[in-house]
Amino acid sequence: MSSPSISPCLRLFSTKIIYPLLSYKTLTAPKPHTLSFSKTISFHRLPTTLSSLASPLSSASGSVPLQPIEELPPKLQEIIKLFQSVQEPKAKYEQLLFYGKKLKPLETQFKTKENKVEGCVSQVWVRAFLDADKNVFYEADSDSILTKGLAALLVNGLSGRPVEEVLWVSPDFVVLLGLQQSLTPSRNNGFLNMLRLMQKKALQLVVETEKSKNLEPRVHGGIGNMNFGLNPNVNVEENPEVILNSVSKINDSVGNVNFGLNSDVGVDKNINSGDLGSRGKRIKEKLKRELSPVELEVEDISYQHAGHTGVRGSDGETHFNVKVVSKEFEGKSLVKRHRFVYALLQEELQSGLHALSIVAKAPSEV
Amino acid sequence: MPSTLLQLCCSAMETLAPKLPSLKVLNPSSSSSSPSCSTARSSSSLRAGLRRPFSLSISASAVREGDPAVGSVSLGHVTRTDFPILHQEVNGSKLVYLDNAATSQKPTAVLKALQNYYEAYNSNVHRGIHFLSSKATDAYELARKKVAAFINASESTEIVFTKNATEAINLVAYSWGLSTLKPEDEVVLTIAEHHSAIVPWQLVAQKTGAVLKFVNLDETESPDIEKLRQMLSRKTKIVVVHHVSNMLASVLPIEEIVLWAHDVGAKVLVDACQSVPHMAVNVQDLDADFLVASSHKMCGPTGMGFLYGKRELLSAMPPFLGGGEMISDVFLDHSTYAEPPSRFEAGTPAIGEAIGLGAAIDYLSGIGMQKIHEYELELAKYLYENLLSVPNIRIYGPVPSGNTNRAALCSFNVENIHPTDIATFLDQQHGVAIRSGHHCAQPLHRYLGVNASARASLYFYNTKEDVDDFVRALNDTVSFFTSFK
Repeated sequence: MSSPSISPCLRLFSTKIIYPLLSYKTLTAPKPHTLSFSKTISFHRLPTTLSSLASPLSSASGSVPLQPIEELPPKLQEIIKLFQSVQEPKAKYEQLLFYGKKLKPLETQFKTKENKVEGCVSQVWVRAFLDADKNVFYEADSDSILTKGLAALLVNGLSGRPVEEVLWVSPDFVVLLGLQQSLTPSRNNGFLNMLRLMQKKALQLVVETEKSKNLEPRVHGGIGNMNFGLNPNVNVEENPEVILNSVSKINDSVGNVNFGLNSDVGVDKNINSGDLGSRGKRIKEKLKRELSPVELEVEDISYQHAGHTGVRGSDGETHFNVKVVSKEFEGKSLVKRHRFVYALLQEELQSGLHALSIVAKAPSEV
Repeated sequence: MPSTLLQLCCSAMETLAPKLPSLKVLNPSSSSSSPSCSTARSSSSLRAGLRRPFSLSISASAVREGDPAVGSVSLGHVTRTDFPILHQEVNGSKLVYLDNAATSQKPTAVLKALQNYYEAYNSNVHRGIHFLSSKATDAYELARKKVAAFINASESTEIVFTKNATEAINLVAYSWGLSTLKPEDEVVLTIAEHHSAIVPWQLVAQKTGAVLKFVNLDETESPDIEKLRQMLSRKTKIVVVHHVSNMLASVLPIEEIVLWAHDVGAKVLVDACQSVPHMAVNVQDLDADFLVASSHKMCGPTGMGFLYGKRELLSAMPPFLGGGEMISDVFLDHSTYAEPPSRFEAGTPAIGEAIGLGAAIDYLSGIGMQKIHEYELELAKYLYENLLSVPNIRIYGPVPSGNTNRAALCSFNVENIHPTDIATFLDQQHGVAIRSGHHCAQPLHRYLGVNASARASLYFYNTKEDVDDFVRALNDTVSFFTSFK
């Protein structure tokens, strides 16, 4: 199956990147007048044009190719293959109900309003929790056994996986099951609503974990501060809170500090460009050429991420801090500035660069 | 089929031809004439051989020789051909549409009327002077007259076109309710009302300090009329009741309710959405103060409904929505308003849809509401009795008997199987369209102690075969899910 290619900027999300890295850094957007350099601003894998997300992309309509099956969690892939091997519709239902039957029932104490999937047709509850390795596990239940079967599919397919993998799942895989399950967002769509709730809960769990790690309690609306590599094929109407929140938080959040993983990289640290490898040098060159900066600092901080799954196998130049002061940024919103830098470094992003931590200022702000 | 059985069927057919189209399957070549056969009849083999022995016994007594209403084929068979949408396959099976309480299908005549309007004389109404505008206005006002005649309103100015019945109820609530209700005034409703009949009154009660009182069901599972009567007092200002329940299939004695209400000086708003499409409704006989119905449930287009209100009531009511058409003179600091119905028809109306509704009324009147009603009574009984044969089924509403008629719909639950599962399976494996959920009657479901129910609802273009297909599919569905327990 071809990789999703809605617009050129989405090449950022090529199929080989299955596990976009998590970077739990708070978004900080210093107001034009505040001169607080001690805060790092970081972006992670946000598509360079958010408008691509804003256009409703419904794979069900056939206009966009389905998410490649390899991008799905392994157990989910197995389940899909199993269903595809069963041809007769009735037998598929039997298979679905079989899954539902095996599903561990949800204890009554977990059948709360927060765990309930909104929708009036049947009652569905979903519970999520993280294990020690930050993989998300699910439990679910429903009074409708077809919905329970679908819930079981999701529970089996998604449990035990890292959060970003779960978030990457686009609902159109259900088309592959051949159950004639509709993908229309509606209150009648238990499946779609369930998946969304499961993804939302995974995100919430991660946000809560991060909150408890924060040194400063002033976290600006958890969700907005997290950037995850969300599947661009996902209809933004389903994920507005996550993506648009991120955007709005970028735009109006007051300086917020998260010393999380980058706690030892303050701007006051001296950055020596002589330590840069080839990529670092390329980045510096590109930015110099395109932005004619008054100030430019590029720092390779890949060593901090050396243990991450997605980094394994790459040559080590995966994470950078970049500080640029250029009059190209004058009058541009923070989002625009970051997009600009991303656009310039597209080639790098496609060839192994995983994350950039960007401080982008106009000379007047310095 | 053994020949004796065939003979039995033939003899049965002689007397019952109009009522048992299912028997046509046995004798496909002859529809109206039955071959002569012996009259040997043994009741036990009849029951064994035919799936519907029950219908033989009641139809035999109910059949009228040379029944002018139906002839040799049922109304359903005759009218089906007028509805192109019914002749299709869904999910690999023939469509069996049993969700008519939600919305009805439209005959070609209505589709043509809509198309013709837009093709030939579409123009804004009441405003223009030119030929097209005048023609459109005439057609629009003619539709209003047709509605008035259909429900026997005394004049067409008592008909206000709205977007649907929900809007019509909101109109009464906001216009009449807000200006009339005072703190501690009472609004009497039943718990079986549709949300559209409850929520607007909740909103208005909040604003005015009025109180809502609800009548529960009695032991027959229809609204308790006696309790309703007792609930009425001089504090009651309006009684809001359905004529036919979209879930219980019960029919309320509106005439009596209106008498009791008027005795205490209360008005009555009748929600006739499930009655006007299915039987002759006469607002003057009922003496209802307000009555609402929707076009889309009676073979008309969506986006159209109407409010009937007695002239003196409408004349005293303030406007609901403001805009063009409903004004008389507009100044900067105030405006004066038009007479009803225009006072309540702000903005450009759904002209084509109103004309479509007029065409639907013509179509229905062409068949005759009496005929439609009688056929549906038959279908209702057939549906009910056959559904009872499904194991562990629980049908809501009153049991049909001598003087208790049900509408041609059944809400039901099968023990241990979720209605959504049933509806999904029926749709995907059998092409049968029913509804599952709370049918916009959550209070009623709560009262009955269920979260949701399934509902099959018929209209005059459904046939007994549709019911047979449905029940067969339902049995298959139930066994499928039961085998999983």
